[in-house]
Amino acid sequence: MKAKLFLLSFSLFSFSLFAQDDLLDLVEETDPKEETIYTTATFKGTKIINMQSCEIPGAGVMQFIIMHRFGALNDDFMYNFFGLEQASTRFSFDYSINDWLNVGIGRSSMSKTYDGFFKAKLLRQSSGGKNMPISMVAYASMNYNTTRYIDNLPHYTTDRLSYSYQLVVARKFNEWFSFEVTPTLIHYNLVETTTQNNDVFALGFGGRIKLSQRIAITGEYMLQMPNHTYLDPATNTEVNFNNSASLGVDIETGGHVFQLHITNSRGMADPEWVGRTPGNWFDGDVYLGFNISRVFTIKKPKRAEEPQW
Amino acid sequence: MKKILFLLAITTIGLTANAQKYLTREGFIKFYGSTPLENIDAVSKQASSVIDASNNEIVFQVLMNSFTFEKALMQEHFNENYIESEKFPKAIFKGKIEGKVNYSSPGNYDVKIVGTMTIHGVDQKISVPAKVIVEKSDIKLSSEFTLKPEDYNIEIPGAVRDKIADQMDVSVKCLYKPVK
Repeated sequence: MKAKLFLLSFSLFSFSLFAQDDLLDLVEETDPKEETIYTTATFKGTKIINMQSCEIPGAGVMQFIIMHRFGALNDDFMYNFFGLEQASTRFSFDYSINDWLNVGIGRSSMSKTYDGFFKAKLLRQSSGGKNMPISMVAYASMNYNTTRYIDNLPHYTTDRLSYSYQLVVARKFNEWFSFEVTPTLIHYNLVETTTQNNDVFALGFGGRIKLSQRIAITGEYMLQMPNHTYLDPATNTEVNFNNSASLGVDIETGGHVFQLHITNSRGMADPEWVGRTPGNWFDGDVYLGFNISRVFTIKKPKRAEEPQW
Repeated sequence: MKKILFLLAITTIGLTANAQKYLTREGFIKFYGSTPLENIDAVSKQASSVIDASNNEIVFQVLMNSFTFEKALMQEHFNENYIESEKFPKAIFKGKIEGKVNYSSPGNYDVKIVGTMTIHGVDQKISVPAKVIVEKSDIKLSSEFTLKPEDYNIEIPGAVRDKIADQMDVSVKCLYKPVK
């Protein structure tokens, strides 16, 4: 009897030692730091439509973008076949030197403009170990207009230059909704009249709503404060340019993104679309257009190596 | 009689005291799938795994966005369109090592690992061959097996079906240290 009690007490004791935790808890408990999860793909493209998104291609990746705007829809609609007979284009190449800095060059047919630009990621939206609610990107471009002068006046080379500076503040609110606000400054070295301002301040808004894994609706609006003006030759008075407003669809197919849209901006270089948009949506003065991007991996990323054993 | 009971009781205690666990946070995982048009090749060195030597239980977990690809865009598509890593951030395996492994004597042991793999929120029972190498204080484990994306409800649209292999070769290599 004594012996049985002895055994019973011992076996109870040993059972209590068997309190088995979930092994995965051990991983979490002994983890020195929580993993930071960076938000990716806030937008599909590096541009929403004309506006810069908060994205750049991955490090070591070169991107080629063809942008195309047809003629105005209200310009003799059927005779000009929805404006599809005319074209305004922009080609650009950009390259990401590392995972935060992208540089590029472009050429736009409107005003025969060449441009060089850089785009740098300042903040990356993240959660987990490091919590950051927004992504922030700085962008600047220098634009050189090569249209021949028709005024027979002496000009400096610098007259042809204009600059654009932007800060993109973006947030991916959830899987299907992203939004950004883009304070912008455009500086024109040369304007038409002495009363025109060389600087145009503007506030851009852009967003996307994802419909499926590969299709998203996009929209953007660039609010000038105040609007840039042009000299109307008929009345010889200054008339306000319009704010650029665009609606589009992103379609992703493997290696590239197709962006189809309707916009009232025909020019695609920053000084053109931000400050010099003549088209009015309410008059049907809008353009069909598309952007196509294609990426090429130039430098393969450094990756973890397989242990040698 | 008393002696035998006493001995029995002592051995029961002795067994529980030997519950050694082994852990890694730098487990290497690679998956590879090839088609004539495109090779998919991704690696991570951030897998965590624990082996409980007392009962042969084994667990793995890896953050899906810790996988790096040769093409940045492929990596974005993997996270955004296929594995949906914001919704399902981790792949988890929970199972048992089947086969005899003596954790206190160095040597190579060919075993089977049986359990439940959870990827993309889908549970699948799997059984894969593995090799356990017991060293002085560490344990190495390697395994090679294949997984099918369709088993885990990972949808591959028709337009890219020619580019994405319908099965992925997975290889795992982990070096465990004892947990103190």
